[in-house]
Amino acid sequence: MSYYGSTDFSYNSDFNLRIRDIKKGNLDFGWLDNTRDKVEIRRRDARRGLALSDCEVGPYSIENSPEIVRDNRGLAPRGAILAEGSDQPDLGPTLNRKTDVWGYRVQSYWEEAMSRQWNVTTDVPWQDMDKYEIPDEVELAFCQLCTLLSEVEMIATDLPAKWSHHMNSYFQEVKGFIATQCVDEARHAEVFRKRALANGVGLLRASVRGEHALKGILEADSYSEGSVFLHVLGEGFILTLFRSSEFISPTPVEQRMFQLVMQDEARHVSYGLQHLRYLMDNCPEIRPQINGFLDEAERHLTGLFNPDQLESMIVLGGKGTSPECIKRGIEVVGAFQGKQIQEYFQRADRAGLPERRDRSPLLELQERMIGMIQAS
Amino acid sequence: MAIKFPSVEFFQELARRMEAKSAEFEKLGFCDTVMGVRVEGDTSHLYALTFDVFECSNVREISHAGDVELDFTLAAPRALWREMFESIQKHGQPEPGYTLNSLSHVGDRMEVVYDDPEGHDKFYRFMATLQAFVDLASDLEIEWV
Ligand SMILES: [Fe+2]
Ligand SMILES: [Fe+2]
Repeated sequence: MSYYGSTDFSYNSDFNLRIRDIKKGNLDFGWLDNTRDKVEIRRRDARRGLALSDCEVGPYSIENSPEIVRDNRGLAPRGAILAEGSDQPDLGPTLNRKTDVWGYRVQSYWEEAMSRQWNVTTDVPWQDMDKYEIPDEVELAFCQLCTLLSEVEMIATDLPAKWSHHMNSYFQEVKGFIATQCVDEARHAEVFRKRALANGVGLLRASVRGEHALKGILEADSYSEGSVFLHVLGEGFILTLFRSSEFISPTPVEQRMFQLVMQDEARHVSYGLQHLRYLMDNCPEIRPQINGFLDEAERHLTGLFNPDQLESMIVLGGKGTSPECIKRGIEVVGAFQGKQIQEYFQRADRAGLPERRDRSPLLELQERMIGMIQAS
Repeated sequence: MAIKFPSVEFFQELARRMEAKSAEFEKLGFCDTVMGVRVEGDTSHLYALTFDVFECSNVREISHAGDVELDFTLAAPRALWREMFESIQKHGQPEPGYTLNSLSHVGDRMEVVYDDPEGHDKFYRFMATLQAFVDLASDLEIEWV
């Protein structure tokens, strides 16, 4: 036990007497002393049920909460009535400013996440796997790709989990959304593990470079840095990688798998983009810090282009290991890497960081890497 | 009776089928986007398909992309749309090279046109729904015009 409260309620005689009294039927209804005025909640669209955005009213609304939350440092949900004085415990949240975590439309991402959940066990047509013959080298390459993707999903689960309890409880929608992300990422790790094992090959080589890159995400100094690295940069790249993986999938079973994971991934990217936009709009002084961080993060990220992953993508892209297949595979991989970088710049632009295009080391690094593959 | 492709009626028929299969689309989840479909040929056509909660609530033909706020547009020659739908009809689902994602990724046989990356990302956020929507043509009698 590392937390001993200031009062031991189990031995507190006032408390025990009060409980005994209540059990005798002597209720004092003190908890109704400061009830708020009634609020009017309207379901804007019956097809959606009762949406979080329908509940954005009066003191419950994020619009009506201060930019910096000072009164609540515990677990109270936004709009609850807090005890007088300093009776509420301090759980030490470090993210108490809206710009630390908030993103435009975060409530709608929550609703989308909740309604678009899926199940690896039952929604991937595993029963169809026997219908298709996959060449050995293609299956091996696919399992190598699944190994790297499993590592990526681990960090994508851990990063939101790491920051959730640092967020002030008034930012419930963000905490909720990143909790859905944890579930999504855990599901992605599940699907890649199951697919690697399903045909008997299993998981192959873990990536040294890749894991160094991923460590950089987890070790970011602030939530916003972690978010811009994971959601905008990393998951933006992974979203394109999932699109490519769908494109080069050996059978419709893997295609289905990637169609489902890309939906979740795109939602995470969208939240990250909206957080970055909100941050740049409302806290422009942070620009040099985010830019300095991204200068390094973009270098870090190239660890994901490790040789094992590149080679497996090339084999998958070319559908084999003959010289013609490899040539074709190199073309496919080169094309999607270019897309990854351009789409990242577009998102950075949209979020209010157009300077990434000029200061980023990505284009030069990509040129050097593709040049290296082509030379070999 | 055969339905002409391309035409507003074609996409309206898919929208009607989507409503008829509401359980399947409710399982896939909320889908909120306005997708453009451009069929290029001697005479090109541009359709705006509004997806709203679990349904495709509106199909219009528009003359310019700016007439409606489109999140993204899938643009391809008429012959490619035909190949895609014929592939869906042959197997009940597209062959690997004919999924919406495969057609629009490397090689850009089908172009994804967008102004705003937020709109662009909706294509991927709702991919399973949009794929299921076009797959509804699997047993539709189509007259290619
Ligand atoms: Fe993921
Ligand atoms: Fe993700």
